[in-house]
Amino acid sequence: MGMSNKMRQFTWSGYMFLVPYLLLFSSFLILPLIYGLALSFCQWEILSPAPPRFVGWANYQEALNSEYFWKAFWATFRFVLMAVPIIVSSALLISCGLNQVTARNRQSFYRAAYFLPTLISISVAGILWRWFYNNEFGLFNAFLADWGLKVPWLTEVSVAMKSIVLMTLWWTVGGSVIIFLAALKQIPDQYYEAASIDGAGTFHRFLYITLPLLRPVLLFVVVMSIIGSFQVFGQTFMMTRGGPELSTRVLVQYIYETAFTNYRMGYAAAMSWLLFLAIAVFSIIQFRLMRER
Amino acid sequence: MRRHLASAKSTLGFGAGWKWSKIGIEILVALGSLLMLAPIMLIFITAFKPDAEIIHFKSILPEQWTLGNFREILGSPEEIPIFRWVANSLFISSMVTILVLTVTSMAAYALARLSLPGKKWIFMLIVATLMIPGQILLVPIYLILEWIHWIDTPLALIVPAGASAFGVFLLHQFFLSIPRDLEDAAAIDGCSKFGIFWHVVIPLSRPALATLGIFTFVGSWNDFLGPLVFLDSVDKYTLPVGIALFQTSYYAEYALTLAASVICTLPVLIVFLLFQKHIIKGIALTGLKE
Repeated sequence: MGMSNKMRQFTWSGYMFLVPYLLLFSSFLILPLIYGLALSFCQWEILSPAPPRFVGWANYQEALNSEYFWKAFWATFRFVLMAVPIIVSSALLISCGLNQVTARNRQSFYRAAYFLPTLISISVAGILWRWFYNNEFGLFNAFLADWGLKVPWLTEVSVAMKSIVLMTLWWTVGGSVIIFLAALKQIPDQYYEAASIDGAGTFHRFLYITLPLLRPVLLFVVVMSIIGSFQVFGQTFMMTRGGPELSTRVLVQYIYETAFTNYRMGYAAAMSWLLFLAIAVFSIIQFRLMRER
Repeated sequence: MRRHLASAKSTLGFGAGWKWSKIGIEILVALGSLLMLAPIMLIFITAFKPDAEIIHFKSILPEQWTLGNFREILGSPEEIPIFRWVANSLFISSMVTILVLTVTSMAAYALARLSLPGKKWIFMLIVATLMIPGQILLVPIYLILEWIHWIDTPLALIVPAGASAFGVFLLHQFFLSIPRDLEDAAAIDGCSKFGIFWHVVIPLSRPALATLGIFTFVGSWNDFLGPLVFLDSVDKYTLPVGIALFQTSYYAEYALTLAASVICTLPVLIVFLLFQKHIIKGIALTGLKE
């Protein structure tokens, strides 16, 4: 044991292991974080020769008074409100179903099938679903035409965001399914068997055994999907570019356009921090709701 | 115990119903998995359809299989430098994977094993940044990259990716689970710190490194916003951004874009089929580590 203590002794050379990572961590995580915060209090049009100028809270005020900011905010919020409950509950349902499949190799085949779409690049997935959703020659309307139906999947304000949520369900549900399934497998069978003998039906077993035991993992998945959903960008960018009538222009797209087509870096940085704030607030609310009880 | 309960079930009279509901559930699960796979299969099938058959949909399978779409996108490297994009994507994703594995494994080892004053604080700071949504760093990182003249070079996508807090977290948790005895034995034999890391810890951590490596590779391969913002010239694009641009210029030519999609999707599918176990285990791990 004396030797092992010697090994754990402090020497400066130990820090050498940390240096490469910390160098990257500070230049591409900490520095941008601080830089972005500072930038959000400055006016800076990157194309103009004028250097950044401190303007206090002006960018934040502009955002909070801007019709476009709020429109983008509500578009994002509507997406989060639809996508998070639908995707998390679907994932829960699918993983419970998967857990009932006792044959090992069939279970891993199904699991792989649910997971595969998460590996598809968003540009490929977006192109594919845009074709599915196309009004004139899209696959969905081709099927629906048999019943004389025609849905304006991406061209009607009242439908477009729902179509994007549906595509997102397909694209992202698999990750959560795998996390839930791993957690479900850790619940001992005996719990369910005992409950069955006591006469508990499927629904009661789910409510009184599965859900409480799953709560920590459920919290993790919900928070991660809130964080992810607030940052939605690829789906809308590929399928609608924010249309129709800006109804699917989400915050990240608005920030992207502000920074890289209008070159207003300070304003874009301020909106990024407002997005961060929204994510933090909703994650904390979720923590509170699901932890205490 | 099991058998006892099973017989209890059948004496209670719901043995048969239990079995049928199980089959019913599996049928639903199977149908669902078919719905999930269908769009991916459609990419591959439809890429062999002539454009006319896509616009006038008759059946899912092509009436006339054609390689024309592939011939067209692969045959005009001037207009559609798809090989260039594949090469760029491969280069960037491999470099990112090597960089992330190198720097995060060293840092995670120091944080998990070496006695360094202040390492607890450093680890907490790194874990705290896991909660920060990446998109909000987009504008400042762009400006930093522009300042060091890395915009429109592969470096812009490779080097910042090395700051992966997730990688440090994942490997740190794994290193903690390795028994210490082996490292102690190596130390007694006079092995240096780096020697222990390289000859003892790294070989023992292959599964965790594989998981992180695959995640990193696939994540980088599919990254969209990064290359969209940090790259300008068409011949420097990665495959996903190239395809997205391609789609805007060949607006309704779905046959061509789907053929390009096949080329973009195939490598990821192969990686998945080869490393399925590692990928699934790694994802399950992220949820179970509290």
